[in-house]
Amino acid sequence: MSVLEAVSTQSVAGENLTGEAYRDAMHRWLHANLPASFRSDSAAFAPPTLQQSVAWEAAMYRAGLTGITWPQVYGGHGRSLREHLIANQEIGRLAMPESVNSIGKELAGPIILAVGTEEQKRRFLPAILEMRNIWCQGFSEPEAGSDLAGLRTRATHGDGWRINGQKIWTSGAYRAQRCLVLARTGPLEDRHRGLAMFAVPLDAKGVRVRTIKSIDGRESFCEVFFDEVEVAQADAIGAPDEGWAAAIRVLEIERATNRMYRAWRFENELRHLISACKADTALSAMVADRHYAVRLGEVAVEIEVLKAHVETAVEALASGDKIGARGSLAKLYWSESHQRFAALAIELLSQASLPQNPAIKVARRRFEAIYLAARAETIYAGTTEIQLGIIADRILQLSRGK
Amino acid sequence: MSMAEGLQPDEFAATAARAVAACAGLDVRAQAQNLAGDGLLGIIADEEVGGLALPLGFAVPVIAAAHSGLLGFPLLETILVGRLLQSSLTRLAAAIVSGDKLATIAWQGEAVPERDGGLLLLNGSLARVPGAASVDYILVRMSGGGAALIPVDAKGVVVEDAAGLDLTVPEHVVRLEKVEVPIGSILPAGTWDLLSSDANVLRAAAILGSAEACLALAQEHASTRRQFGHALSYNQAIRHALARQKLGLESIRHAITRSLSRDGGPVQRDAAFLAAVTYGSSISEGALQIHGGMGFTWDVPVHRHLRRIRTLQAQGDASGLISRFGRRYVSEVAPFAEAGA
Repeated sequence: MSVLEAVSTQSVAGENLTGEAYRDAMHRWLHANLPASFRSDSAAFAPPTLQQSVAWEAAMYRAGLTGITWPQVYGGHGRSLREHLIANQEIGRLAMPESVNSIGKELAGPIILAVGTEEQKRRFLPAILEMRNIWCQGFSEPEAGSDLAGLRTRATHGDGWRINGQKIWTSGAYRAQRCLVLARTGPLEDRHRGLAMFAVPLDAKGVRVRTIKSIDGRESFCEVFFDEVEVAQADAIGAPDEGWAAAIRVLEIERATNRMYRAWRFENELRHLISACKADTALSAMVADRHYAVRLGEVAVEIEVLKAHVETAVEALASGDKIGARGSLAKLYWSESHQRFAALAIELLSQASLPQNPAIKVARRRFEAIYLAARAETIYAGTTEIQLGIIADRILQLSRGK
Repeated sequence: MSMAEGLQPDEFAATAARAVAACAGLDVRAQAQNLAGDGLLGIIADEEVGGLALPLGFAVPVIAAAHSGLLGFPLLETILVGRLLQSSLTRLAAAIVSGDKLATIAWQGEAVPERDGGLLLLNGSLARVPGAASVDYILVRMSGGGAALIPVDAKGVVVEDAAGLDLTVPEHVVRLEKVEVPIGSILPAGTWDLLSSDANVLRAAAILGSAEACLALAQEHASTRRQFGHALSYNQAIRHALARQKLGLESIRHAITRSLSRDGGPVQRDAAFLAAVTYGSSISEGALQIHGGMGFTWDVPVHRHLRRIRTLQAQGDASGLISRFGRRYVSEVAPFAEAGA
């Protein structure tokens, strides 16, 4: 924890500020407080422990960098989506670790805000922001990956609820306190009807978590087994049926707004890659040459387009427009573009001079990890094929007629 | 105060679409009168020359509508030349904005000046000059970054037909052989770069208009053409191909919006054009593919759009631009040094 002892505990850094003054306050706080060991573009980088991540994210919350748009009564900062964008641009510009509680902040929290009871909002939301509760997402199952209508995990109603079944690809379940579980209350034939959501405590009797090693060597993915798990009525999120429909609406917005920093983080990565190449004799010549200048330029263009997708979505939402299925456009664009970039990064870095200088070592460590992790980006949060289907069905409204 | 104050750019889209439709079948000079009558030639020019004095963003839906409707008039060039000349050649700018005189721009090549006593003579070989055979003036780039306005009927100006893909506003080549130009027709260094930056936004708008038309045609065809007992759009391969075209189309649209926003600068303008070239080409070629054999026919208008997009790509020198864009980006990043070191 010593690394974080210096993190400011002062309350909201940007309080009462707006516009560029707000941006400046967020920028200064992040630069003053982000430990070098958290920065994957630093030789001092050491992946933070869970404890360190929790402390850091709690400090970010106190500084006004998370829970930005949530109502103050539930612990949020009550600011606008435009300010959320400003803060996320500044977050993206630094090479900082991903949140260990993004499911809480960007999925469970917004769903609870939309369909939860007043008691649930007061109980769950501040705990998410203060990092007292880390959440995971229990949607996918072995027989229901992209097609959630095939869910088999069952919730039966008696004195409270009883849940039986299995979830998979549950990122971070091993470290989470709560799981947002989607379960079936009716027969399998009901497909999307009869689905209900629960905030299941992972220390409940009958819950078993098993980690799965992923291609990047990490053990963050999990399987979660529910064996006669009793869940109180107070932990049922929204009414069965209505709850899921509302969640779908929330998810549409989330797809357009979650990890809003992505375009700016992507830019941070591109600039880091170029800076590392320019510190190397062979690579500095290569990136000045037309071939790689064009390819890097193409990435820079794609980053501009991605920023345009994000900013347009924010403006639309801030102006009261419905976002509809447009979140699929940004998600699809980012995931494929980022994969191409990651492949270019490792291609370039593999041509570095020998002996490797420290800048190349730092960059290889970062970009090899990014390359592997990026393979999941066209799979999670709706695969590329699912996004294309959503665009065809909901945006183009193409006929499926026989 | 602008006479169009309070208007939004999108409100010009419908006017422009109507004006474009009304130009069908007219010769170029009659088209100019029509377009001028709707205020479209002077949309960004000062009121002193008869323009509407609106920001560049207002020209975007106009250019998009012109290209969507395959307008056979060098509108992009006219809009830019009218504004460019408004402070130095005011009367000529007014004549262009009113549709009385026609102008275009030579997008490729340079004019090389030569002094002959007190005279300034221009020589050079220019290409990618849309609609040069039917205009009164051609704006040419000067070596050194300036520009000159050349009357087409001046001695030593030779306009010739050229090979080129665009059927709608065909390109010409122009030779200048000791063409005498008054000093007042020479525009200062830096003119061309400013012109190119605005032109890139409008080219992106032009490609947006064509790409929109192509996707609409492809979508219509996929919904009505039946094979194997289903509409084409029943097939996932077709649905996904169209979804990718839609992603490209919205990417062009958003990139243009961003290039004109408060945060927009030369980088965003170049990016909008480069993105438009990439996605516009793939949308038009993809639309042709979805039409199958019909897409390869003269009658289905997808090829007209495809031809225009590829022509705009060349007029804006997309290959040279992405190379300069990438090199500039790389040059602006400092070699790695530990943060705070």
